[in-house]
Amino acid sequence: MAVMSTESPAAVIAPERALPPVPGRAARLWRALFAPKTLIMAAVAGIIGYLAIVPLYYLLYGTFFDAAGFTLSGFERAYSANGIGELITNSVLFAIGASTLSLVVGTALAYLNVRTDVPFKPLFFAASVIPLIIPGILYTVAWIFLASPNIGLLNKILEPVFGPGVLDVFSLWGMIWVEGLHLSPIVFLLMVAAFRSMDPSLEESALMSGATRWATFRKITIPLVRPAIVASILIMTVRSLESFEVPVLLGLQNGIYVFTSRIYFVLRTYPPDLAAAGALASGLLVVAMLGVLLGNRAGKNTRSYQTVTGKGFRPRPMELGKWRPLAGALILGYFLMTVVAPLAVLLWTSLLKFYVAPSVEALKSVSLDNYRELAGLSQAGTALKNSLFLGLGTATLVMFLMSIAAWIVVRSRVRGRGVIDQLAFVPLVIPGLVLGLALSFVYLRSPVPIYGTIFILLIAYCTRYLPYGMRYAVISMQQIAGELEESAQVCGASWWQTFRRVLLPLLSPGLIAGWVYILVVSFRELSSSILLYTPGNEVLSILIFEQFENGQFTVLAALGVVMVLTLVVLVTVAYKLGAKVGLRQQ
Amino acid sequence: MRRYTTRLGAGLLALVLGLAACGGSPSASGPASDRGSGGGAGASRAAEALYAEVGALSGEQRRNQLVAKAEKEGKLVIYTSMTSDVADAVVQAFEDSFDVTVSLYRAGSETVLQRVLQEQKANFAGNDIVETNATELFDLAKEGRLAEYKGERRELVPDAGKFEGWTATRFNLFAPSWNTKLIDAAGGPPKKWEDLADPRFDGKLSMEVGDYDWYLTLYGWFAKQGKSEAEIDKIFADMAKGAKIVKGHTVQGELLSAGQFAVVASNYTYLVEKVKRKGAPVAYTPLVEPVIARPNGIALMKTAAHPAAAMLFYDWLLEEGQQVLADQGLTPSVPTTGKDPLEGVDVIPVDVEKVLSESDRWSKKYEAVIQGGEQVTK
Repeated sequence: MAVMSTESPAAVIAPERALPPVPGRAARLWRALFAPKTLIMAAVAGIIGYLAIVPLYYLLYGTFFDAAGFTLSGFERAYSANGIGELITNSVLFAIGASTLSLVVGTALAYLNVRTDVPFKPLFFAASVIPLIIPGILYTVAWIFLASPNIGLLNKILEPVFGPGVLDVFSLWGMIWVEGLHLSPIVFLLMVAAFRSMDPSLEESALMSGATRWATFRKITIPLVRPAIVASILIMTVRSLESFEVPVLLGLQNGIYVFTSRIYFVLRTYPPDLAAAGALASGLLVVAMLGVLLGNRAGKNTRSYQTVTGKGFRPRPMELGKWRPLAGALILGYFLMTVVAPLAVLLWTSLLKFYVAPSVEALKSVSLDNYRELAGLSQAGTALKNSLFLGLGTATLVMFLMSIAAWIVVRSRVRGRGVIDQLAFVPLVIPGLVLGLALSFVYLRSPVPIYGTIFILLIAYCTRYLPYGMRYAVISMQQIAGELEESAQVCGASWWQTFRRVLLPLLSPGLIAGWVYILVVSFRELSSSILLYTPGNEVLSILIFEQFENGQFTVLAALGVVMVLTLVVLVTVAYKLGAKVGLRQQ
Repeated sequence: MRRYTTRLGAGLLALVLGLAACGGSPSASGPASDRGSGGGAGASRAAEALYAEVGALSGEQRRNQLVAKAEKEGKLVIYTSMTSDVADAVVQAFEDSFDVTVSLYRAGSETVLQRVLQEQKANFAGNDIVETNATELFDLAKEGRLAEYKGERRELVPDAGKFEGWTATRFNLFAPSWNTKLIDAAGGPPKKWEDLADPRFDGKLSMEVGDYDWYLTLYGWFAKQGKSEAEIDKIFADMAKGAKIVKGHTVQGELLSAGQFAVVASNYTYLVEKVKRKGAPVAYTPLVEPVIARPNGIALMKTAAHPAAAMLFYDWLLEEGQQVLADQGLTPSVPTTGKDPLEGVDVIPVDVEKVLSESDRWSKKYEAVIQGGEQVTK
């Protein structure tokens, strides 16, 4: 825009004297090409394209081509399994159930936290990150110890009232429950960011005009955060369709099969049937692409969601009145279910030699041996250091790149910007093993010595978490009105200055939420790390996998506890720093 | 200006897409650039020459020559699927004996295979030695990546552990195990494999989702006992009836000691032994016979950058290393001195050739068994 303003005076002063067309156009093209804005945008688009297309190409090539040329046999093998009908039904029910549960729980909690004077606010913070930190395998096994009909602690507590085995975690409902709770923090983080950037005056007007609280919530609040809700549904559905731990640990026991169990079976055979796995992933890809398309249509009329405008506002919490105790009870309940109970089981297990239900007798065998063993592991220190480097690096890089990408997608008029949005979503459906294979394929042949260093892991992580970063950034961007940038530019700020000084601070709730999410989940990434790491570059998730393989379940529980503590400290610091920029509360 | 930006964006996108499309087929082998810590055809010839030269020697002469050369190389890269506690003990003992630094990559056996193949196809000589499961070693041998090894220690390994291109170093044993607190209520421990089909274990037996190698071996053994296919299918169908299916032997062992089920059909004995040593109420003896043994083995890479160190490690693992494995509760492939815990026990090896050639069929058949569905017949 700055470029344009310099050329207009000439046109105004001498309208009749046409500029020589050729040199003028060339000069303008030249300037446009090398304007920092163009360069930055092109670089970001290029990076996203590169990160997404490499594994996608590898996946699709392996799916559609074999030694003989084009083939669809992978699809035939993947979708012609025994009982495929039941498989699809189970997958769909599981995905719908888990995403609905996480959406309702996550949104409700986010709303209560940001927009009301609900009690126990500090608990939200723990409830929003701890389930994310606990590795899926530990979280699921903790729930087996809690709600198995045979050995579940909760069942033992409920037995006098309801009879034996009232809760059954090995059922579709159990799977939905565990997965839904494990996923709800993602929704919570997304929705907190959305609610935080919302001008409450709209709700207040509705209330003033006589609408009930519920009507206001339904007709004003929810429509305003629709982009965030659509994004949540999308991520949750894809995530629960690809979830591994819950279906194999809870579903298999009673023969409830879903798509991921299928992927497991086709990758297990020898040689691994990458074509069939690719065919299953392609199915997911189609679902995800349609989702992004729908999401963009829902967010198309972006002006309707712009709640951060030139008009000043201060998010002020709503008074809950007589509902306050009920809301408080709900929150305590949620906190107990998602954090206290599983964490307590883990803590208990980590103090034992092997799992036994808590009793006076068992209490005598409690020791810190597992923690001692953990401290004695030679790679523990290196792994922690590497995981920290990768987690912080990935989170920062992804969120920075994605905030620019989100600007391109939401704000710019560049043709093909929708493609960037689609590409950024692709890695979500690529199985971790395939990503690992694709990256090792490329970097084993690249002249740049990245293979065998920690940077190949950084690339893998950035690729895997790009989709999340993009969603967080796009949703926040859709809430910010264009007039703020325009005012900055009218005052003479360059595009980069505007971006840095106006947009980034306004985006910060969403960017921090995304940053926290990526930091936390990158500590858990295993499926591509395990193929790509080299001695000396171990990460924590590999240590977890080794303890698991060794049958050291109790040491694993101890490691889980240590991870929770480390990340809680990190995330607290991040929030404290984050509170200094952007929209102030109260 | 907007128009130019538009074109620019589209152009860049086309460029990225074009670049990716030029990447070529991901399954084709890479350019013949020699990378990695050595590698390429030249290194391959050198390594194989050394293997042949030293392979002709034996006894002290062989060891001395290997030690001198290996310590000059100074380094050894091992890719393995040994669990990390075992791997740590092995590496420690080896490094204590020789002046060679070991660099160790550890992962599940399928991942080890993928990694070696990826690297080899790109002419990247990542590792000198690979130590992993039978099936994966068969594949590497079939791909022509493993060098021939000659040595007197290999001759001591039973035939069930000697294969083209690799030698068994240890056996994983499959046997039923049970929770000692719960087993009496279920009518006592199983005494033979057929017992697992008994209705008294309905709802109390656990099977592992991936153990089709166990399944096909036991299937073959039943057939040898004169059972018809229909009878064998019925035994497995009865086992699967009411069985609790678990993924992963570790979780299975942990849930067994916690009392989630009373009996496990096919866990590894060493995993059960490990929890048992900690005092968990689990047992697997008296062993249900025949015990099914799956060989895990070692192989030399043709492209090894440290061939002498690789061969020294191979020799050592089949000699002194066998005791280290035994101390870790594993079953070594060369009978070590002292009491053989498997003396007098009927052991049959997993039918590895069948696992390899009929993997798809048996995997599907087992999948159908544990789903309790119809048998797949081909």
